[in-house]
Amino acid sequence: MLRAPSVLSRTNLSTDVVLDGLSKRYDALEALAPLSLRVEQGETVALLGPSGSGKTTLLLLLSGQMEPDTGRIVLSGRDMARMRSGRERARLVGMVHQQFDLVPQLSALHNVLAGRLAEWSLWASMVSLVWPRDHDMAVAALARMGVADRADVRAGRLSGGEQQRVAIARLLVQDPAVILADEPVASLDPARAGEVLALLVSVARQSNKTLVASMHSVELAREHFARLIGLRNGEVQFDLPNPQVTESMLHALYDLRGLRGES
Amino acid sequence: MKARLLESRRLLTLILVGAFLWSLLNVNWAEGLVHPGGLEALGQIALALFQPRLSPDILAAGAQASWTTVAYAVTGMTLALAIGLPLGVVASGVLTRVGWVRRLNVGSARFVLAFFRSIHELVWAWLFVAAVGLSPVAAVLALGIPYGGVLGRIYSELLQDVPEGPLRALRGAGASEWRVLWYGRLPMALPDMLSYTFYRFECGIRSAAILSFVGLGGLGYQIQISLADLNYGRMWTFVLFLILLVLLVGGWSGIVRRRLVV
Repeated sequence: MLRAPSVLSRTNLSTDVVLDGLSKRYDALEALAPLSLRVEQGETVALLGPSGSGKTTLLLLLSGQMEPDTGRIVLSGRDMARMRSGRERARLVGMVHQQFDLVPQLSALHNVLAGRLAEWSLWASMVSLVWPRDHDMAVAALARMGVADRADVRAGRLSGGEQQRVAIARLLVQDPAVILADEPVASLDPARAGEVLALLVSVARQSNKTLVASMHSVELAREHFARLIGLRNGEVQFDLPNPQVTESMLHALYDLRGLRGES
Repeated sequence: MKARLLESRRLLTLILVGAFLWSLLNVNWAEGLVHPGGLEALGQIALALFQPRLSPDILAAGAQASWTTVAYAVTGMTLALAIGLPLGVVASGVLTRVGWVRRLNVGSARFVLAFFRSIHELVWAWLFVAAVGLSPVAAVLALGIPYGGVLGRIYSELLQDVPEGPLRALRGAGASEWRVLWYGRLPMALPDMLSYTFYRFECGIRSAAILSFVGLGGLGYQIQISLADLNYGRMWTFVLFLILLVLLVGGWSGIVRRRLVV
């Protein structure tokens, strides 16, 4: 079968994610009980669960922004804790945030090109602010997200949906093997949310990248993801292919009774 | 612990209020704040405000003096930027992570900035006039050094106080702290940095006028000569030039800031 050609795919290395006894506490609170699981290359995984269930903690650990108390993360055979350079990590994992986290004063183009910073020398990075480097690559990424015409607009002037498209374009240019997304469409209105999520998932599928996203909306998760993992009080409640997840499982997942932080 | 802190705060307030009252007692109220001929002179000066001298030769002198003053201010600000920007970045500590390296860098940059700005530009002017004589170099150094100290301090704070989210995203894309500085901190701090720099430029024009009292030429020098001649109308003309300059800079900064606001 022919895969759609990706402008941006760098490697054909198999990239699977292995979590081995991963745990994290914040003082007395066990944010994540020891967790072991494996995600194969190209899988699309949605993390579900009420707030405080450990979804965000898991993503922060996976992105290397936080260190686990126990256990380890192995990304395509490489132990995450041993990765010293940001560049090495950026090639393996990239993240989309709920709040988009663009630099409002820079144009959409420069925000996208920021995804290339790990690959450029400091000097080249500085010069690029005046004479954009890899311009075509950034425009191609913006075009793929449907916002090529917004390239020269300052990010702060874009709508929420456009900002998230630009943030995903930045990720395309960064081209990590694993894409993480922390409630990527939770701050968009329902119509935009569906569109943007569909784009994110199709980008991951087309370039056979692994996608792990925490999802606020169960509906959207069911619609777009192949595998669902339910987290509750830091523990995995279910980890199943999408069609095998039943309504009663979801009800139990979000049941307020016995939920930490509720009384 | 908290109670003691509160107590020491009260004590400090008491000391400050005390110092203020004591300083009031030390003003010699009895001899009068205005000397006998003073009121009359004040009246003349006030009257002259409505009769500024606008003859072509005075206007030409005013334009010439304004140009000199602006030239000092611009050159002084350029030097201040050259001092304040790099030292401000180092003093903000955003480029260094390791404990002792960071403390050493931040500490020494802050010390240099504090040293530069704790001495007033007039005192710097005396020092440099003593060293290099009455030359434009003395004026530019006297202006640029304390202003560099102030700019550096403000820049270092602005660079620290930018939203953390976009910086985290940049680091997540593999950017080093240097790249985060160029692609995150500087763009996000730029509007505030520019607006403060413009405010300082306004101050710089006033300071440049004052510095010309030291004998370096410019608006202040013309004002001084007019005052010495008791020619208040002429003096007001030069003061009006000064006001005009400050207004122009204010207008310019407004235009630039409006374009930068996201």
